[in-house]
Amino acid sequence: MLRLSDHWRSATTRLILIYGAFFVLWSVVLVGVVYWETNRYLSHVVDAIVEQRARYLVGVERPRLPEAMDSTGALDLRGVMSIGLFAADGAYVEGNLDRVPVDLPVDGAIHGLPNGLDRRGRSEREPARGLAMRLPSGEVLVIARDTSVVDQVGVIIRHALLWGLSLTVIPGLVGGLLLSRRPLRRVREIEAAIEPIARGDLGRRLPVSKLGDEVDLLAAIVNRMLGEIERLIGEVKGVCDNIAHDLRTPLTRLRTQLYRLQQDGTGAEGLAPTLERCIAEVDALLDRFRALLRISELEDLRRRGGFASVDLGAILNEVHELYAPLAEDQAIAFRLDAPPPATTIHGDRHLLFEAFSNLVANAIKFTPSGGEVAVRASIERDGPRVDIVDNGPGIPRGERDAVLRRFYRSECGRETPAQGYGLGLSIVSAIVRLHGFRLRIGGNDGGGTRVSVDCWIDAIAAGV
Amino acid sequence: MARVLTIEDDAITAREIVTELRSRGNEVDWVDNGPAGLRQASGGQYDAITLDRMLPGLDGLAVITALRQAGVQTPVLMISALSDVDERVRGLRAGGDDYLTKPFAPDEMAARIEVLLRRQRTPPRETVLHVADLELDLIERNARRGGSALELLPIEFRLLEVLVRNSGQVLTRTMIFEAVWGYHFDPGTNVIDVHIGRLRRKVDPPGATPLIRTVRGSGYRLAEAGLAQTE
Repeated sequence: MLRLSDHWRSATTRLILIYGAFFVLWSVVLVGVVYWETNRYLSHVVDAIVEQRARYLVGVERPRLPEAMDSTGALDLRGVMSIGLFAADGAYVEGNLDRVPVDLPVDGAIHGLPNGLDRRGRSEREPARGLAMRLPSGEVLVIARDTSVVDQVGVIIRHALLWGLSLTVIPGLVGGLLLSRRPLRRVREIEAAIEPIARGDLGRRLPVSKLGDEVDLLAAIVNRMLGEIERLIGEVKGVCDNIAHDLRTPLTRLRTQLYRLQQDGTGAEGLAPTLERCIAEVDALLDRFRALLRISELEDLRRRGGFASVDLGAILNEVHELYAPLAEDQAIAFRLDAPPPATTIHGDRHLLFEAFSNLVANAIKFTPSGGEVAVRASIERDGPRVDIVDNGPGIPRGERDAVLRRFYRSECGRETPAQGYGLGLSIVSAIVRLHGFRLRIGGNDGGGTRVSVDCWIDAIAAGV
Repeated sequence: MARVLTIEDDAITAREIVTELRSRGNEVDWVDNGPAGLRQASGGQYDAITLDRMLPGLDGLAVITALRQAGVQTPVLMISALSDVDERVRGLRAGGDDYLTKPFAPDEMAARIEVLLRRQRTPPRETVLHVADLELDLIERNARRGGSALELLPIEFRLLEVLVRNSGQVLTRTMIFEAVWGYHFDPGTNVIDVHIGRLRRKVDPPGATPLIRTVRGSGYRLAEAGLAQTE
């Protein structure tokens, strides 16, 4: 269930609130500027009209002045103009004004009259702008114009602001609250999905929607991590099972030999061959432990310090030289298609030699007499690739990933005399992973196995 | 008889080393810490030293560095629980002559010590090596046995050179692989066996006294006829 406090903490809600505050502030500033500009313009228009009338009336001869004032008033249909003529002592002479406004100095300049003026026959006082000037006759002429229209514009603008804001901000906030529910709901979904994973069910994954948004990106990253954790945990579990299985055989044989020694109780002469067999069994066991430790060491990923530019062709030639006699002895054709001269890759020479040696040794081991093993180097778009191809029994499609795990041994290989201990490919896999290269196991056309090593940094494998 | 100094803090490992080396007719002294080891080794009366990498007081690397700086050139076999290749390189750079990781088989350790002792005795500047009627010309890169030339591939020549240089000594498969190919991992035993087999067919033709002998459970030895008889 979603609580209100969750909404407040939600990133979406917070963004919307901040954005809303900015929006309100900015609208107020904007409308304020519009209001101020409008006010200024309208005042300017009023001033121009008042000035123009004043100039006209001042130019009229005194005897015709009342008539001119009348005709000016007649043009003012809305009754916004006020004109008054007063004697030098301020007594009313002519016009629609009762008296000279107190706050209007007689200086011929336009002044604001916020308190309005007393107009003949009207009780309400509207704010106005106007001027008072002394005529040559000593009388005072007052001309003013009502500015209530300017104020009305102000009111309209204020209303517009209020309505505009309430129509934007309120639905915005409500919408924001609703919007924040979705990511929150998905976080809750993820929380629910993580619960069983945290309890140890590593096969579960986080839900990823089709949206591809931030939450999905995050979920995908976590899923990738879970995949790797699952692989590692599975490997550890597999190692325990397989160590038990794999070591039981030589240990049992060792025990049998020792038991026979005890039973026979033969003299020193009969002892030697049996003891030698015992030592051989123990050596085989130790070899397997050494290989296991080697894998752990490689998986520490600390050896990148030893990386340098190495000649791929030279390494493959050395591997070929090392294994050619073995292949020949078993009547296996062993071919090397070397890369073009000076093909270099970035890596550790010793480890790469070990990896390719292992792959070739495996290929030879699982290829029957009269078969064929080939090491082919080719240049791909991203870098050199090495294929180790044989026409042995091949690895079933379903087992191709599994053979890279420690101690895995193909079921098919179990009954053959040349059984691998399943560690070679794990060592190769660890070395390839250390380099950021990619190891693929596929089928060879017409039976057999094709193992490919892409000798360039693979973005996914390197975890970039 | 050679004098060997064992610098090793772990008593069980030390007993193993001392017993194995003594059983092969060497005189062995044991010290269990770095400073004492350095003092004793500096005396210079030893033919070879086994040196543990991790020691109380003064560690193995410091001991060997100090020894070499003092001009003591006694061959040193570094023994270490650190199996990483970087550690091996560090040990050899500091002046170690060979490097062995713990746990080790005592015969392998002894074989390595014997190679070091042997290297100490033979003048390294020879350009033609002889064992019985086998002759190796290191400059011309060719080999003859009993006057007739042997047709050897470059890799076979290198292999034979390692065997001849250490003639009379047991070389384990790992030692052969390290010396000939220069890599430090387990290539699988039968790869080396096959190479030895081919070399043997060329060096020891039917009818000739075999020079390359298999030492059961350990490795190979190139030996003159007289020595081979004692096998």
